[in-house]
Amino acid sequence: MKDSDILILEEPHLSLGDQFYLPQVLKGLGTTMKHMLKVLGGTDRVIQYPEERREDMPVEDGGMLLQTYRGVHRLNKDEEGRPKCVACFMCSTACPARCIHIEAAESPWDDREKYPQKFDIDELRCIYCGMCEEACPCDAIELTHEYDIVGLTRQEMIFDKAKLLKIYDETVKDEPM
Amino acid sequence: MPPEPLTATFYHLPPPKSFRTVCTLRTLVKSGTIPAIIPNLMPKITVDGKLVEAKDRQMILQACLDGNINLPYYCYHPGLSIVASCRICLVEVEGIPKLVPSCQTPVRDGMVVHTRGTKVIANQKQVMEYLLVNHPLDCPVCDQAGECFLQDYSYQFGRSQSRFEEDKAKKPKKDVGKNIVLYNDRCIMCTRCVRFTREVSGQCELYVDGRGHREEIDVFPGRPLDNQLSGNVADLCPVGALLDKDFLFKQRVWLLKQVPSISPVDAGGENIFLEQNEGVVWRVKPRYNPDVNTWWISDDTRYSYKVIQSKSRLTQAMRTQYGAQVETSYGKAIDDAVVGLKAATTESGAGSLYALLSPMMACEEAYLLAKAIRAIDPNALLVSGPAPTTGEDQVFKHYMTHKETFRIKAEKVPNAAGIRRVLGLLGGPTATWDEFTTATRDDIKNLKAGWIVGNYLSSWLPANLPAPLKKGFRVLQDILPSDFAGKADILLPSSCWAETDGTWENHAGKIQPYAAAVPVPEGVLRAGDVYYTMLNRPGLYNAQAIRQEMGKMFTSVQLPSDKEAAPAFDFVEL
Ligand code: SF4
Ligand code: SF4
Ligand code: SF4
Ligand code: FES
Repeated sequence: MKDSDILILEEPHLSLGDQFYLPQVLKGLGTTMKHMLKVLGGTDRVIQYPEERREDMPVEDGGMLLQTYRGVHRLNKDEEGRPKCVACFMCSTACPARCIHIEAAESPWDDREKYPQKFDIDELRCIYCGMCEEACPCDAIELTHEYDIVGLTRQEMIFDKAKLLKIYDETVKDEPM
Repeated sequence: MPPEPLTATFYHLPPPKSFRTVCTLRTLVKSGTIPAIIPNLMPKITVDGKLVEAKDRQMILQACLDGNINLPYYCYHPGLSIVASCRICLVEVEGIPKLVPSCQTPVRDGMVVHTRGTKVIANQKQVMEYLLVNHPLDCPVCDQAGECFLQDYSYQFGRSQSRFEEDKAKKPKKDVGKNIVLYNDRCIMCTRCVRFTREVSGQCELYVDGRGHREEIDVFPGRPLDNQLSGNVADLCPVGALLDKDFLFKQRVWLLKQVPSISPVDAGGENIFLEQNEGVVWRVKPRYNPDVNTWWISDDTRYSYKVIQSKSRLTQAMRTQYGAQVETSYGKAIDDAVVGLKAATTESGAGSLYALLSPMMACEEAYLLAKAIRAIDPNALLVSGPAPTTGEDQVFKHYMTHKETFRIKAEKVPNAAGIRRVLGLLGGPTATWDEFTTATRDDIKNLKAGWIVGNYLSSWLPANLPAPLKKGFRVLQDILPSDFAGKADILLPSSCWAETDGTWENHAGKIQPYAAAVPVPEGVLRAGDVYYTMLNRPGLYNAQAIRQEMGKMFTSVQLPSDKEAAPAFDFVEL
């Protein structure tokens, strides 16, 4: 590390208006009131998620098309139930969010050189751009239509190989785009 | 039937006597022993309309490469003999009816060469097509992908589609030696590896088995590729056929960033690149230096990076309290060390301190430590650390001419000469390691406290500690645990060469800089920064500034240019 590599950050400067706490509070309240009036007037609507879901509604009514939706990833399996992935790192190289972490190893099968010993995707870092799917030479990674994934901790949202293969089993009937 | 061992030499009978005489004459002329009858010319040739200045008897290919003209080549390697077997480098020379191999055709003044004519391009396409007939196209799982000549030339000179519809021949993968694995079906039979084991490592382990489409690289039964230079065959293989087992499947090469460095394993000062990704060094590659290691490095150098990531690295500063070591913060440990050293000086007067300067330290670090110790005790003794040797240099010879091709130095530390130079520069009381351990000199007997630097890649102190190290207040800076580390009064975990900038002087007096490749492990402060703290210098350790300060003999040292430090492979612009 050199001296020039050190970045010294200053505290942001607050104007007098910013230091008076009240104007900002009122501004926020205003936004809330605006939306409330819109809902009451019928120009906006509230969806009672998760009972009501946008994919069940017509697109004209603010619904969405699942066929083109890019949701959580899955790792595809071949006919013998093994992960198709050959650990080529193409997806992690293409990934603009740098959220795919692979550890490759010699594969236990004869017909293949390499397989992913570890395959982690940080679903919180992912921007769901679909670049990994595009880059994969083996059609091993795909984005499914699942979007309501939850977790209680950040650690839980780093999906490992087992979890990504499980998503394949759950979504195998869907045809991701 | 398995091939007889060493049949390979029969293919290379010694050249006839008369030819040898010519060769000897040439050597004598070159060395200046006898005057040249033909004056050395600087021939100029025209390549695609561009004037290129070549050297006398240079081949067209090398002249073009030196002149920044891109020509494809597989079998040619500047460090090996020329066989002209791959035929991808063929070019058109005006006045010669057929295409000629540029790697084997010497330049002549006024020669006109065309490298992008229809005939040349047609040849390149055909050669590429033939090479790919049985090629598995494993690129996604092939470790060479990203630095593969076949990929690059396919893109630049080949065709995008294959016309081959039949099944490809499958050849098994082979274990050829301790460090190297051979994927036979990726081999393009350039024989660089075979020539290397004959002409550089000189032990002829690899040979070509079979002919035509049955041709394969192989080793003789019971004679695996096992010598100190074996790792180089993976570097010089232009494709992913010979791969390093240690690096196999670990990373993709395009993720690695190269940092110029120097080998820490011996006094030879081999130039290397440390290749790191996300703060982890994954492999070591040779860096071309015609004066030191040429294109090659030893296997010890190649695998020396492991110590950087070693699980056993020291990362916790310790201090001894009532006879037992307890954990402490790094800053407090430095303060305690200075207080302890000062106390010893005030108690016993000048000349009671010593600094053991390890030959694993950079010259700059040694200089700073010596300054810091002499600031406390102006008469402090400077001792140069032990420089273990293995007895004799390991010499590699050409298998036929027996000319020396590579030498691995017996002295197993990188900077013994540099430490001597720093001691000479600073003057004052100094001692060698032998004088220090025998402790017959009065000033050595009177030592009360000292600062000891280890940083060796393996254990370095004898089981029975030398007398001066057994007593007094001892501050130890080291990277690996040892008995002595458990006894030191203050233990400061230190940085190793890959984590800091510095310079080392090799056995031949060549002063070579290296750059930091990775950050220090958590809990460790770079040695340079420790000395900066002791000397109350502002800012961070800056090797270049220290070199300036050390005077003329170090200021001429420059880091390799950015171009040299850039990755060896070019990314294809999309
Ligand atoms: S691109 Fe496909 S095959 Fe390659 S590592 Fe990613 S998922 Fe595996
Ligand atoms: S040798 Fe080169 S072309 Fe062949 S599989 Fe490996 S990277 Fe691809
Ligand atoms: S193994 Fe590599 S270096 Fe040896 S002949 Fe084959 S392609 Fe050339
Ligand atoms: S490089 Fe010239 S023939 Fe191979």
